[in-house]
Amino acid sequence: MKLERSDRGPLWAFLGPAIVLMVAFFVIPVVYVAVVSILKWNGISTPAFNSLRNYLMLFKDKAFTRSILNNVIWALVAGFIQVPLAMVMAIILSRKPKGWKFFRTVYFFPQVISGIALATMWRAIYNADTGLLNGLLKAVGLGHLAKDWLGTIETAFPAVLIYWIFYVGYYMVIMMADITTIDESYYEAATIDGATDFQQAIHITIPLIRRTSLLTCVTLASVMGLRQFEQVYMLTNGQPANTTSTIVLYMYKKLQDSNYGMASASAVILIIVGVIFIVCIRKLFEGRGETVKVKKGRAGK
Amino acid sequence: MKKALALLLALTMIFALCACGKQAKAEEITINFPSVWVGTDSKAPYMEQLIAKFNEENAGKIKVVVEEQTDYQAARDKLRTTITTGNTPDLCILDTTYDIKAYTESGKFMDLAPYLADGWGKDFAEGSYDAWSVDGKVCFLPFESAVFTPIYNTKIFNEIGWDHFPATYDEFFQFCKDAKAKGYNAMGQMAGENGWSSMLWYSLIVEAIGGKDVYANGLQDPAFVKAAEILKEMYDYTFDGAISAGAGDVNGHWLARDTAIYLNGPWWVANLYKEDNAKDGVLLADDCEVAVNPKYEGGKGEGGLVTTVQAFLAAAEQTDPAKKEAVVKFIKYLTDPQHVSELALSSGAMFFVKYEPSPDTSLISQKLTQVANDAAFTVIHVNGAFPTAFSTEFPAALSALILGQVDAQGFVDQLQTAIDNAA
Repeated sequence: MKLERSDRGPLWAFLGPAIVLMVAFFVIPVVYVAVVSILKWNGISTPAFNSLRNYLMLFKDKAFTRSILNNVIWALVAGFIQVPLAMVMAIILSRKPKGWKFFRTVYFFPQVISGIALATMWRAIYNADTGLLNGLLKAVGLGHLAKDWLGTIETAFPAVLIYWIFYVGYYMVIMMADITTIDESYYEAATIDGATDFQQAIHITIPLIRRTSLLTCVTLASVMGLRQFEQVYMLTNGQPANTTSTIVLYMYKKLQDSNYGMASASAVILIIVGVIFIVCIRKLFEGRGETVKVKKGRAGK
Repeated sequence: MKKALALLLALTMIFALCACGKQAKAEEITINFPSVWVGTDSKAPYMEQLIAKFNEENAGKIKVVVEEQTDYQAARDKLRTTITTGNTPDLCILDTTYDIKAYTESGKFMDLAPYLADGWGKDFAEGSYDAWSVDGKVCFLPFESAVFTPIYNTKIFNEIGWDHFPATYDEFFQFCKDAKAKGYNAMGQMAGENGWSSMLWYSLIVEAIGGKDVYANGLQDPAFVKAAEILKEMYDYTFDGAISAGAGDVNGHWLARDTAIYLNGPWWVANLYKEDNAKDGVLLADDCEVAVNPKYEGGKGEGGLVTTVQAFLAAAEQTDPAKKEAVVKFIKYLTDPQHVSELALSSGAMFFVKYEPSPDTSLISQKLTQVANDAAFTVIHVNGAFPTAFSTEFPAALSALILGQVDAQGFVDQLQTAIDNAA
């Protein structure tokens, strides 16, 4: 569509501020980080050109490759386990069973608590010596399973990840809001045709939220997974033996070492991984044709 | 008449301008001081009094504004960022994790050498600030010192059947076995957080094996590998979960009286005297004794002591001479021997400033001072001897060592690689 000359002024008036903000707070910082990533700089001396050595050193460092792997696992778990769990909860609670408001509040409650506080609480639960988890295991006669959950290579990363999966409230509320916009007549028609609740969820609800709230939640959750920091920092600081490290934690440690070149290079890699993830998720959700082509909330109108 | 009026107006304006100038000159100088000596830090109560007194004495001229930093690591991160972005605080507390040479050469910090040479330097221990000078500039003024030597619980030792602290590391491990047999942790270790306690033990072992020149060849000295083997063995005699433990766990076990030996800096002494940490009305300090680092058979470290600069005072370079003088005045005030004596008494911390110890100084502090005075030589704590990358990597390398992911040589190699990458 070609814009009339008279439309251009208002268009730029509306877009202008957003573009300026985008350039100031995103484009310039990203370019700055990209430039620093090819420098050798301790933050105080004169920077020196370092070619791609920072990137080469990153990929030689097992702690960094492990961090990427952990972030990818985290993003996948977030997008494809945490969000589906949230979706199940959203579908169930949207049917408004008895006590649904109470459960909605309970599931959402962890979202209003800071990640640091939650991590501190879970650190106490996992404590090998005085922790609740080992205490419970001992109490039910499974004391032989008690271990240093955060200090054992096999259990540390799952321990950091697993509790977080169940904090589904944020995504659940987004999807619930979307589900409530679906016209009731679909469900009424399906019920007349003999469809069970499960069949209605599979054939009506999920297809209708797939490209809206579900896509949004999967994208958000995956990006959150890629950005993980405070949870790992508080629980393990990336240990034992860097097995729970994430890219942001790795970047933070390089900043502590005043190695701004490598910290920026790891930030660039994080951006690239993030872009790849978002593109893949969008492709995945756009790949197949829509199962239900009717617009939500407009049936019968 | 008009001329007279104009003259009067002109004179009024000139007078007003002069007054403005005087007012500007008399403007109160604000010194921004982000400090970690706040909150629960043992130096906090006296520092608060001291700064309030300074502000009172200089009311209307100088005002020190403390920016409270209650988390040591967060304070380091913030300082590093503010310095990098050109917003160096007027006065700040730094430690050995900063690249002192680069920071000094950056020109962002005030050179205190001329002031020290002007007589102020006599207040400091011989050679204390020269050791940290770069091309004759003293931008990092060593203020708080620390000695690291074990403190042990005599009551637990008696229960285990020991009436003395092990003199050698062979004897030390015999003690560890006896402690374990009686259900006690010999000592606290931690590979979580920054691995602080274990890093201190590592320093002690490195010193015992390698002696005073152990850092001469970096991490190439065989003492580092041997010390890693010994440190790994120590994990058999500490509490469960030490690999993921932090300082809170180590301190908690020590305060719970289930751990026989404690290793930390002198700033922790005040906690030994806290009523809150007493048990059955007995202060922990009453059951404590100060030991010296055990000797390593065939080692070079007998009589040595591990020390560090716990805190440097560093001030931002100032363009305004009046502000520069004000900052120096405040630093001189802080490092006044009488003030430092009272600060040492209230906190148990040790300092590079020469001061007359108070007769009320706690027994443990007196013994720590005695150990420091008796030392044949001193060796710096590993975190001050190597670039920051060493300390950052230490917990990862240590947990890999304890869990068998790397051997002692691999542990040292991992630390070396981290240093090389940061160089």
